[in-house]
Amino acid sequence: MIYMSSLLKDLRYILLLVQWDLTKIVRRVIFVAMRSTWFVIQVVFFGPVIAQMVNARGIGLDVSSYYNFYLLGIYTSILFTITASRAYDIAEEFEEGIIEYQLSLPMNRKILALGRAIGSGIASTLFTLPMFLTVIILTREFDLLAIAISIVSALIFSIAISGFVLTTTLSIKSSDATDIIMGVLDAILVRLSTIFYPAVILKNIAPYYYAAIINPLSHLADLLRIFYSFEEFKEIVVINPEAMASYILGLFIGFTVLAMYVIEKKIEGGGWR
Amino acid sequence: MSEVKKLWLTALRDLERFANNKYWLAAQIAMNLADIFIFALVFRGFIKRDIVPDYLQYMTPGAVALATFVAAFSIGREVGMEVRRELVDYLLVLPMKRTTLVFGRILSGMLRGLIYQVPFIVIAMILLSPPTIGKTPILIATSIILTTTMSSLAIAVSTISRDFNIQATFRALTHYLLFFFSNVFYTRKALELRFPQPLPDIINIMPISIAADIYRWCFNYYQSIDIWQKLLALAVWGTILTLIATTIYLRNLTKR
Repeated sequence: MIYMSSLLKDLRYILLLVQWDLTKIVRRVIFVAMRSTWFVIQVVFFGPVIAQMVNARGIGLDVSSYYNFYLLGIYTSILFTITASRAYDIAEEFEEGIIEYQLSLPMNRKILALGRAIGSGIASTLFTLPMFLTVIILTREFDLLAIAISIVSALIFSIAISGFVLTTTLSIKSSDATDIIMGVLDAILVRLSTIFYPAVILKNIAPYYYAAIINPLSHLADLLRIFYSFEEFKEIVVINPEAMASYILGLFIGFTVLAMYVIEKKIEGGGWR
Repeated sequence: MSEVKKLWLTALRDLERFANNKYWLAAQIAMNLADIFIFALVFRGFIKRDIVPDYLQYMTPGAVALATFVAAFSIGREVGMEVRRELVDYLLVLPMKRTTLVFGRILSGMLRGLIYQVPFIVIAMILLSPPTIGKTPILIATSIILTTTMSSLAIAVSTISRDFNIQATFRALTHYLLFFFSNVFYTRKALELRFPQPLPDIINIMPISIAADIYRWCFNYYQSIDIWQKLLALAVWGTILTLIATTIYLRNLTKR
């Protein structure tokens, strides 16, 4: 009975923390508008032109298949960028003393970490949902099971990245360092993945290929491609689907546990630079 | 003290603060380098040879043109902050003409752009080939016109509003417009295959496209282009945008 009541209390705390993160993202109207504009330009302009330029036939695709490949890549990219941008929110919260306030709340710090990671993940996934629906409409793939599995995969990926962002931002405790780390990571990880180009093309440059294999963005982008058209993309994905799904799941568990460890054992208030 | 000296001092003061943006700059440099050494290098093995024979060589001069934009926009961020925090009142009481102040800021943005561009010019020289002695003055003139234009544009869009979010939105929209609607990433032929006229023609006469074409000629990617026509077009763009931007900044300095 006591165990049940404690569990319910923890779940209530998690719900409150999720609500907190959802409120934060709703307030960022301008940020939403900017990212949406970027996405629209990618989908309407950049993607179609790049699809005309690439030698898609060389890897067994045609122009429209490559465009679909590109769309799912761009969706992954924007999901990552938006989740990673939560780092700036956390930095702001630290500057405003909100992190210290949250650390002092009468709740288990593990629950605090879990709630923030899940909250950030849900908020980022919800934010990108209209973009995901646009991709579905443009790729003309309306398989409900594929849609449901894709959203769940995106959510697990986003929670994993949120865990990483929480761990990094709270460990380095510096707005400037957060700014540079997230900026550089975004620039490098997006380009060094299978977002724009398939793994078979990356094989031409061995270090880039191996970097793409361990890059989480490659795994989510290729997993979404497999959900949508297994036959079309099965030959060009980074690794087999089971391994990609396991990788994302492992990332989710690893980064969430890491965030819980850092928040429970390492973080104290103050010391923000 | 002459107005020229005041203008120079204003520019130098801003230039000294360039290093304050080192974290932001580091992230921007990483992005520009990643565009060349990852994005373009990988796409080189994937782009059809009949559309672009060597994508790395095609894109690098474009990255040189985009680099000016990044650095010049750092002055936009600062001017935007001055408007938000009402530091403009302090600037307006300084013993100098308002036009001196405005052109001093533009000059500073130009100098920042030129400094930021140097390593990318060196990269372009290595990946393509160095410009001949005859082409060097044209390269320098192009960089000066482009950085002046970008600096003016950045200052103007950053003073449109006192709201940080609106400032950031305008800056981002200008960035997207210049970045995506240019021939930095795609050739005219590719644009014509996908979009009807006049869109490919319009993109080809955008200032970043013109500058990228001049750089491609300077680094010997293009053997021949109508260089004087391109330079004239860029100068016309530069003059018009700088005049409009100067007017907007002068107006927004005193607007309440």
